[in-house]
Amino acid sequence: MGSTFRDRTAEFHSLSQTLKKIGAAIPSVHQAESDPTSSKRSSPPGSSRSEFNKKASQIGLRIHETSQKTARLSKLAKESSIFNDRTLEIQELTVLIRNDITGLNMALSDLQTLQNMEIADGSYSHDKVGHYTAVCDDLKTRLMGATKQFQDVLTARSENMKAHENRKQLFSAKNAAVDNQNNAKAVPEPPPWSSSSTPSGSLQQQPLLPPVNSGAPSGSQLRRRSAIENAPSQQMEMSMLQQTVPRQESYSQNRAVALHSVESTITELSGIFTHLATMVTQQGELAIRIDDNMDESLVNVEGARSALLQHLTRISSNRWLMIKIFAVIILFLIVFLFFVA
Amino acid sequence: MKITALLVLKAAPETTDPVILSNASDVSHFGYFQRSSVKEFVVFVGRTVASRTPPSQRQSVQHEEYKVHAYNRNGLCAVGFMDDHYPVRSAFSLLNQVIDEYQKSFGETWRSAKEDSSQPWPYLADALTKFQDPAEADKLLKIQRELDETKIILHKTIDSVLARGEKLDSLVEKSSDLSMASQMFYKQAKKTNSCCTIL
Repeated sequence: MGSTFRDRTAEFHSLSQTLKKIGAAIPSVHQAESDPTSSKRSSPPGSSRSEFNKKASQIGLRIHETSQKTARLSKLAKESSIFNDRTLEIQELTVLIRNDITGLNMALSDLQTLQNMEIADGSYSHDKVGHYTAVCDDLKTRLMGATKQFQDVLTARSENMKAHENRKQLFSAKNAAVDNQNNAKAVPEPPPWSSSSTPSGSLQQQPLLPPVNSGAPSGSQLRRRSAIENAPSQQMEMSMLQQTVPRQESYSQNRAVALHSVESTITELSGIFTHLATMVTQQGELAIRIDDNMDESLVNVEGARSALLQHLTRISSNRWLMIKIFAVIILFLIVFLFFVA
Repeated sequence: MKITALLVLKAAPETTDPVILSNASDVSHFGYFQRSSVKEFVVFVGRTVASRTPPSQRQSVQHEEYKVHAYNRNGLCAVGFMDDHYPVRSAFSLLNQVIDEYQKSFGETWRSAKEDSSQPWPYLADALTKFQDPAEADKLLKIQRELDETKIILHKTIDSVLARGEKLDSLVEKSSDLSMASQMFYKQAKKTNSCCTIL
């Protein structure tokens, strides 16, 4: 349909007037003229149309409001620093915007159903349908743009928070290192410290500043550097103090952990020893079996040996017997011969 | 894992700065010209850390590439300069030992010390060399190390016992085969023996 809207309301008005005068048939209310911005039209025939338009205009307004809120939220999120983060405000705004967007989504879907109803009516005009679709699409694109903005703002805020966390961690981890560096630089001359060596070294730093600048045994450059760094180091020192207590705890925790590990190692060792003992007993049985087998085979071999020896003796003794038998046979022969001859 | 220096200081809260009672440092791995400056650095950092350590508290401070551990007990403070790998616990047990030893050998005389004493205390120098290995200082570490070694040895033992089991298995089989064979042999011998008695 194009975006060139031609406002022909005036022409239509004059036409209706003339027709009325003529008294001809009431002009059918063809919205042939492209007249999309006719929210002024409050006449009944366009009741559904004006309803649609009212809704559309409402939605447009709400989208505009939402995008304004998103812009404010983005400004807040960018502005917040580590020490001044308006988390509450930001969260409230986020919730508000989210609700708005969900409401808008619902309203837009209502609008779409309206449009579909109109189409399903049967008696519709192409221009009307075109108008409806154009308005719906426009609103949808605007809503999408607003949601995208909102999402961008949320990502930016989360990145911001991450950066803050990193910076905080940097500070807390480097506390000891930075602090000791400051200490090393701020102790060129111990004697000028007339104040007591209390744990709060920050208190010492302040009386250090005036007397330090007076005397100058070693490099004055060192002093100047220490004077400059004293102010930011105070904060570090206080937080370093807070770290001594957890270090104390971590020391004892360390010992406890080491003891636990030693204990577990010892139990492991006992397990290994029992395992070893079972294996050795099992193998002891095997050894006994082997022993029995060997004894058995020894007995067998001994028996076989004795049998063979018997055999041998019998054979050898048999020969002796054979000689005896032969001798007896020869004797018989001689006796026979004696008898015959 | 090495100790660079061990210091014993008196850190009474009334006096301005701690008084060094004993000092032992190992600067052999620095170049010749750096040694004196390193010693000075050790002295100063030790003083600062000791003064900042409240009584009956332990502290570890990271300075450049050294960790400085300090333990203050009723005014007698022991400070050790170790590198990052030295385990913290053994460092503190070492400091404990040093303080105990100092109290045993010097009693309460250190309380009256007002100036840095320069007499070397041989125990400290010995401690420095002996405790380069953190296991010496910390009994727990030693025990853990020995237990680990024992565990390894036991694992090896178990492996060899398994091998022995296998060999025993083969031996059992062989001996049973042998006994079978000897039985057959016996039967055969008896058979040959029984039949031909006449011949």
